[in-house]
Amino acid sequence: MIKELALIGIVGIISYGGSKSAFALDVPITAQVSGSCVISTETAGTYGQPNAYTLTTAPSDGGQQPITRVDVTLASAYKVKFTPPSDFSSSPNLNDVVTFTGDTEVSAVSDATNMADYETDKVETGSVDEYDLTATGSTWFKHTSVAVNGGSRAFPSGNYTAYVTAECIAL
Amino acid sequence: MYRTLIFLLFIGAAHAHQMSPTYPKWSSSYLDGLSVTRVRVFNKRKDVEYYEIGVFDKDMKPIPFVSQYDLRGIKYNNYAMFDVFINDKYKQDARYICSKSMLTDIKVAVSSRICSKFKN
Repeated sequence: MIKELALIGIVGIISYGGSKSAFALDVPITAQVSGSCVISTETAGTYGQPNAYTLTTAPSDGGQQPITRVDVTLASAYKVKFTPPSDFSSSPNLNDVVTFTGDTEVSAVSDATNMADYETDKVETGSVDEYDLTATGSTWFKHTSVAVNGGSRAFPSGNYTAYVTAECIAL
Repeated sequence: MYRTLIFLLFIGAAHAHQMSPTYPKWSSSYLDGLSVTRVRVFNKRKDVEYYEIGVFDKDMKPIPFVSQYDLRGIKYNNYAMFDVFINDKYKQDARYICSKSMLTDIKVAVSSRICSKFKN
């Protein structure tokens, strides 16, 4: 009797083990990595007026440079492109042609090792600056804009608005 | 520690525009001859209330599309899903779908545009 019970037990253990492997479940772990780009305006810019016919974001002239932060969650999936203002989006009636110049440069990075070459590798086409975002993390960009009124004529008094365009484009 | 971190994150990203996914895909829609995709735009820009959606080819030329809202108000700290429909004949040409912030009056502001890419 004891032998029979032991035998049933052994058979049961074997069959349990066998059924366990026969009916093993593959439990899937899935993920969808969608990635994203985030453009943040950390600092809004303002123009200073060092003389009657010049508006500039240079801090030494009373202006403030706008700062943009771009975060990416996928490496080498985006490029970011900055276009400085080429005209005012709103202004008083102007009395001459205004010449705009502008520039963008990397001001800080979250990954000093993998983002160290961003500034040297940037592609400048006219006043448009392009950066390949080859590493995940955050990059801070500082923008400069200078507007000079033609003929050294004084800018009419009023409010002036200009836009830096930041574009994050998937590669 | 958590409170400090969250506080800093909110400070750091006070004015942000986010769009996902990076690589959307077209799928069949319930309408014959139209494909649909969905993108999510998150508005964390206090200076922006409206976002515009557009579909573009490889040269960034606009491609016709249909959406319930191509210009849509998104409140601060909220997101919106855009369902974008496209005629199947344009599907192969569509390379980018972009969201663009529509700015109100600020002295030197940053106009943001984020483009996701269709990988054909």
